[in-house]
Amino acid sequence: MAVIEWLKVNVAVPALVFLGVFFISLWLRRLIYNAFQRWLKERKTEVGKVIVAATRRAFLHWLLILGAYIAVEVSVLSPQWKSLAAKILGSIFVAYLGWILIRLSRELIGFYLNRAKTSDRAITITMSIVQVTIIVVGILILLEVWEVPLTPVFIALAAALAAAVLVFRDVFPSLFSGLQLAQQKQIKVGDSIRLESGEEGRVEEITWRNTRIKTLDGSIIIIPNTKLMQTTIVNYGRQAKAATEPFQFSTRLDLRELTGLSARNLSQLVSRLREVPDAVVYYHTHAFVEEYQFLTPQPTNDFALWVQDALGYDILAERLASIDTFEFPTIEALRQMIGGVIQDFLAQTVHEREAPFGNEFHFIKSISVILPTPYVARNLRDFIGILRKISIGSLYFHIFEAKLRLQRGTNDFSVWFEDCLGEKELAEQVTRLDPYNYTLENLREMIIELCEKKL
Amino acid sequence: MNPIINVKDYEPVVGKGHIEELRMLATRLSGKTVVNINSTLVGGGVAEILSRVVPLLNQLGVNVRWQIISGEARFFKVTKKLHNALHGKAESISDDDLSLFLETSERNLSQIDFSGDILFIHDPQPVALITKKSNIGRKWIWRCHIDISQPDSRVWEFLTPFITNYDAAVFSSPNFAQQLPIRQFFAPPSIDPLSDKNRELSAEAVDAVLTKYHLNQDKPIILQVSRFDRLKDPLGVIKTFELVRRNFACQLILAGGTASDDPESGEVLQEVRERAGDNSDIHILDIPPGSDVDINALQTAATIVMQKSLREGFALTIAEALWKAKPVVASAVGGIPLQVRNRLTGLLCHSIEGAAYALRQLLANPDYGHWLGRNGREHVRQHFLVTREIKDYLLTFLTLERKEDVIYL
Repeated sequence: MAVIEWLKVNVAVPALVFLGVFFISLWLRRLIYNAFQRWLKERKTEVGKVIVAATRRAFLHWLLILGAYIAVEVSVLSPQWKSLAAKILGSIFVAYLGWILIRLSRELIGFYLNRAKTSDRAITITMSIVQVTIIVVGILILLEVWEVPLTPVFIALAAALAAAVLVFRDVFPSLFSGLQLAQQKQIKVGDSIRLESGEEGRVEEITWRNTRIKTLDGSIIIIPNTKLMQTTIVNYGRQAKAATEPFQFSTRLDLRELTGLSARNLSQLVSRLREVPDAVVYYHTHAFVEEYQFLTPQPTNDFALWVQDALGYDILAERLASIDTFEFPTIEALRQMIGGVIQDFLAQTVHEREAPFGNEFHFIKSISVILPTPYVARNLRDFIGILRKISIGSLYFHIFEAKLRLQRGTNDFSVWFEDCLGEKELAEQVTRLDPYNYTLENLREMIIELCEKKL
Repeated sequence: MNPIINVKDYEPVVGKGHIEELRMLATRLSGKTVVNINSTLVGGGVAEILSRVVPLLNQLGVNVRWQIISGEARFFKVTKKLHNALHGKAESISDDDLSLFLETSERNLSQIDFSGDILFIHDPQPVALITKKSNIGRKWIWRCHIDISQPDSRVWEFLTPFITNYDAAVFSSPNFAQQLPIRQFFAPPSIDPLSDKNRELSAEAVDAVLTKYHLNQDKPIILQVSRFDRLKDPLGVIKTFELVRRNFACQLILAGGTASDDPESGEVLQEVRERAGDNSDIHILDIPPGSDVDINALQTAATIVMQKSLREGFALTIAEALWKAKPVVASAVGGIPLQVRNRLTGLLCHSIEGAAYALRQLLANPDYGHWLGRNGREHVRQHFLVTREIKDYLLTFLTLERKEDVIYL
């Protein structure tokens, strides 16, 4: 009887308590998980499945540990044994929970970062950081459970943490910024963006630390994610329609060659005008375009200026100034027109005036040196970005030189818009702009405006 | 002391595109060596331009060296006479003077290291070095910084055989072009916007310089900065000032320096001081070479800047004043009309009376002066900064052997 009584008190009660706690907890787990799964179903989220898969079986084991703990507590074991059992069960629980958290974090980090197209390296580093953190926290709890003095451990940990912060001081902000970028989806790989600095380009890669941008001139800019998050960015999104052929921007630099020829009166001017090369006529009808970019409206061609300033022929100056260079397909035709206007005026002039000494008209020859630039536009968005930053020389070459000096009929931009982008209307609008009536900067803005309307 | 300047520092001033173009040109010259030769390392416009152009070209990747010819004081007296005669001033130049010029040039031929691909010779002092061309070959370019629109015929005939032996010449103004059998290029000189002479100064820095020279801004300041040289007409400036002062309260500052290759400047300075007499509104400042911040401060403090030269190569002081957005009154000589487009970027004059009239217009209408000054600054930004001069030189070096009008590099 005594044995039976002993068994009742020492085994049956704890066993019943263990079983009772276990079955009640099992019932509760079912309720909780069913509710959780219903909630997940409504929200159609994939994350819940990951959490359920990782914790469902472990939850059962944790309930067994809970049951065992309560059973020990209601048993008649001495307080020392109860304490020892509680520590062992607590340690098993902490280790098991830590292991599950590590598994869960690995799944969740992999799930989120892969979806954000984060690099493998970034995923591995993030997982490692989280795992180390869980292990360290787990060990600290275990030490607390086993009543080990924690002060030296905390000091060592603080020192290690400080060292880690020092070593990785630039890494963490970038990492978090990278995660934020990925999470908020403000910038994606393949987007065309414009930075606050004016640089434009395409996002090639977003790593856990930097974002790599290929600029319009083909160079690569690597920006730390922290800086990228702090700056104002214009995101144009995905690329515009691709051109059948890219547009290669060239630039034109001018060298002025002195001919040694000069004129002091109209007869000499018209006589020299007939014999000088086209490059001289071109120079004197175009120098003002580049020389007076700061004045709107710009002064006129050199012939009109000289006739007015040095000879005082206001009427002739007006006639020469009103010659519309834009209308002429060749320099020779322009030369004939200028010569004709002066000749007509001379025919009605009895006494020719002479320019004062030092105010002669000096014939200058324009030498254009053409260089390819690193800028290549593959779509209209690229084109606008490049047009914003190319030099005045480049704009001048594609607008002025292309049409008259290289006799391409119209400007290079219009040809590309129509032939390679199929933008006939845009091509016509740019062709219709009379560039001689604008400063080059105004012209740049007007073309950009027309292009932007097309996007 | 000017800080060390990097080519990239010019991007905010002239735009990134321009600097990229310079780099593209310089790349095409890599492997070539350019040797600059002139007569002085300090003082005067040429030394000032080279002190900037040479390091910047080297930074761009072009191997550029700078050498000077040496000579006794007598030699530089002769070259000064030649300089004046090329400007059209009557000078008594003896056969002995010309012999001394040739002998000193001959001596320099054995002292200068000519190893390089392009020899860039500045002004008439070293022009006769070309006699060695047949021995050492290579490309020779004569860079003429002075006004040779009306050269003394005897001196011009003496120099012509040397000049025509060059492969090309570079002049600062179309007016200086001559009938020569060689190619002639046009490249106006330039100023450096980042140098001590042209960078923006604080009001405190300007005040400190004015105090140093016992000046104040109580009255509008009319300033001429130039060497004490008769061709700069300092006496004409004083006369102009006296005409203006009848109706307008103002003060005149004549700030001058000297150069080691100009032995006349001390004599002219004395004449100017005597002419100014005890007029307390006329300040004659003898400023030593290298006082760039002082010059900058004076130009910044000025109300109007004058350059009433009788002959002029280019007058960099005008570009400096325009860069500081100052209204300028200047003689229509040499390269000045390139910088001062009459009534657009400043006012041109042809006489003392004309200069006085222009000064009165500006003193009476400050807004008009500001408008001219703003235009002038933009004009300088586009045409007279050191980056443009570097571009011209690079293009000259690269296209020396090309005859086409449109050259693809």
